[in-house]
Amino acid sequence: MSRRSIAYSDSPLLAQRTPLWRSRLILAGLAAVFLGLIARAAYVQVINNDFIMKQGDARMQKTIALEASRGRILDRNGQILAASVPGYGVWIDGADPNDPDLTQVARLLRKDERWVRQFVASRRNKPTAALSRQVSEQVGDQIKALQLAGVQLRREYIRSYPEGEAAGHLVGFTNADNRGQEGVELAFESQLAGQPGTRRVLKDRYGRVIEDVEEVIPPVHGRDVQLSVDSRIQFFAYDRIKAAVQKHEASRGSVVVLDALNGEVLAMANYPSFDANRRSTLRNSVMRNRALTDAFEPGSTVKPLIVGLALEQGLVRANTPIDTAPGYIRLGRWKVSDTHDNGVLTVAEVMEKSSNVGTVKIADKLSAQSMWELYSEVGIGQRPNLAYPGATRGTLHDYQSWRPTRKATMSYGYGLSASLMQLARAYTVFANDGHLAQLSLLKGGGGVGRKPVFSAKTTRELRAMLHLATGDEGTAPRAQTLGYSVGGKTGTAHKLIDGRYAKDRYRGFFVGLAPIEAPRIVVAVLIDDPRGKQYFGGLVAAPVFSETVQQTLRLMGVEPDVNVKPNIHAKGAKEPV
Amino acid sequence: MIRVNILLVLAVLITAFVLVHTQYQSRRLYATIDKAQGYATELDIEHDSLNAQRRTAATAERVQRVAKEALNMRAPSPADTLYLQPKPLDGGQP
Repeated sequence: MSRRSIAYSDSPLLAQRTPLWRSRLILAGLAAVFLGLIARAAYVQVINNDFIMKQGDARMQKTIALEASRGRILDRNGQILAASVPGYGVWIDGADPNDPDLTQVARLLRKDERWVRQFVASRRNKPTAALSRQVSEQVGDQIKALQLAGVQLRREYIRSYPEGEAAGHLVGFTNADNRGQEGVELAFESQLAGQPGTRRVLKDRYGRVIEDVEEVIPPVHGRDVQLSVDSRIQFFAYDRIKAAVQKHEASRGSVVVLDALNGEVLAMANYPSFDANRRSTLRNSVMRNRALTDAFEPGSTVKPLIVGLALEQGLVRANTPIDTAPGYIRLGRWKVSDTHDNGVLTVAEVMEKSSNVGTVKIADKLSAQSMWELYSEVGIGQRPNLAYPGATRGTLHDYQSWRPTRKATMSYGYGLSASLMQLARAYTVFANDGHLAQLSLLKGGGGVGRKPVFSAKTTRELRAMLHLATGDEGTAPRAQTLGYSVGGKTGTAHKLIDGRYAKDRYRGFFVGLAPIEAPRIVVAVLIDDPRGKQYFGGLVAAPVFSETVQQTLRLMGVEPDVNVKPNIHAKGAKEPV
Repeated sequence: MIRVNILLVLAVLITAFVLVHTQYQSRRLYATIDKAQGYATELDIEHDSLNAQRRTAATAERVQRVAKEALNMRAPSPADTLYLQPKPLDGGQP
């Protein structure tokens, strides 16, 4: 204590008075600093606050995309033909190409392991890329469980097609982004696809949504499409055409079932087909819906139309005799022949025996213009009014360009072309008192044209002739089916290969109606290039018709119109009428 | 005058706390409803997915295969079908 005996307040320095300006200077300096701070604070927070606001929003606000679901495709009874189910996309974001677990990933994805590792190596230090998309939920969950670094699983939707290959062409498929690529998926894309919405939200630090910041733009979900197709008929028709194509060693086959009264498509199947659930089966060679996209020369199946026209114009009657001897007729350089000499036939018998000579002689009485008009009226050479990708219009040349031989060949189905669907549609005139039905793929979308092509009387006569053709003496007794009367016309056309008619390559057709008195359905069958022993339409295509008619009418609940010896021995059961 | 000011300050404080609390509650409830809505969507998707699965298990193709192979059944023909004709209730002829 004693060493610091001089009191601080006694310091001589303090005795001096400080000048007032110094304290003022300090004060002013401090004031200036605070003013600067206030000004800066005001600038940042009030005047130019965008930056801070943006940074705050970036941390708290998030824009969430609201996914729109794709509509389902349903059959006429509401059964699912296509629906979206949850799945995953597997994305690579800087994963290690030497990760031992990639073996497992490759196995689960059914991909080559070496390829997977190469892919992962090529994506190092690059933006994320999809290793595999449209992966099923099951597989995705297993990959997720591996918890690999740099492998992301993103939720996405995959289309499920329960009917598989039976409805492959009809329903079509989508791509990985759920956009329709083929079939109904493409045709009704605008209706099926939804419009995604967005919402901007405030999230708390746990990532929970605590507030909507802006007005929510709700997603517009895709609408369901209900087709006129019955999945049971579709399957059965496919099953039968598949069996027939395999049995006759044909290259392909198609079948179309129409509701005869309104033109609604009940089934449309082709074989070979594909299963859109298994992408590996999608090959270009099988993807065409040939019942609609491919036109071919319809051969004898157009004969009922020509005979109908002659009846309608009063040029012949059903019992008018036509001399078909000696079984062939010369047209310039050409010779049109029947399978054998039938001698004198009535018009009805010309149909029953499918005589080319007889048909040419009947067509000789008709004008080229009226034949052309008839073919046009039943839709040949015109794009069917079906919202379906790639539907062909077929070919029908202007009658003014027809030479005499062309007119003759046109009468028995050469020189014009149509798809199987167009052919089936043309036959609806025999069902509706001469009215042509409008095609429709949608339930309730069908209808018939206002102006009849034939009179009711003519169609009645034609139906009787078509029935004869499936009789025991006709060309297609194998079209007959238990319980139901049928009628129809066979066709066996030489295939046009490299501009020439191949001698030993054929297409076999059958187009017919059932029950023939009051038709409910039109069934058209095409077997292309049968290489087995049989190739006549009456032998290869008619049995498919018979089985399809039997099952379709049963499923539609149509009562048999032909007496059947019942196998039922129930007490009190009476023979059905 | 001071007393009035104190009362006003208290009132301001109370309402401020109530406001904070209400905001907190509202956000908590909003988070709950959002979670519930998300769950509802999940269930919707699962429902659709299960429907598709059920349909896949009951296609005509599978039914026919099982009926034919496992159960030895065949499709009925008109010969072993008894067609019932509905009669009017008054007993007259149909």
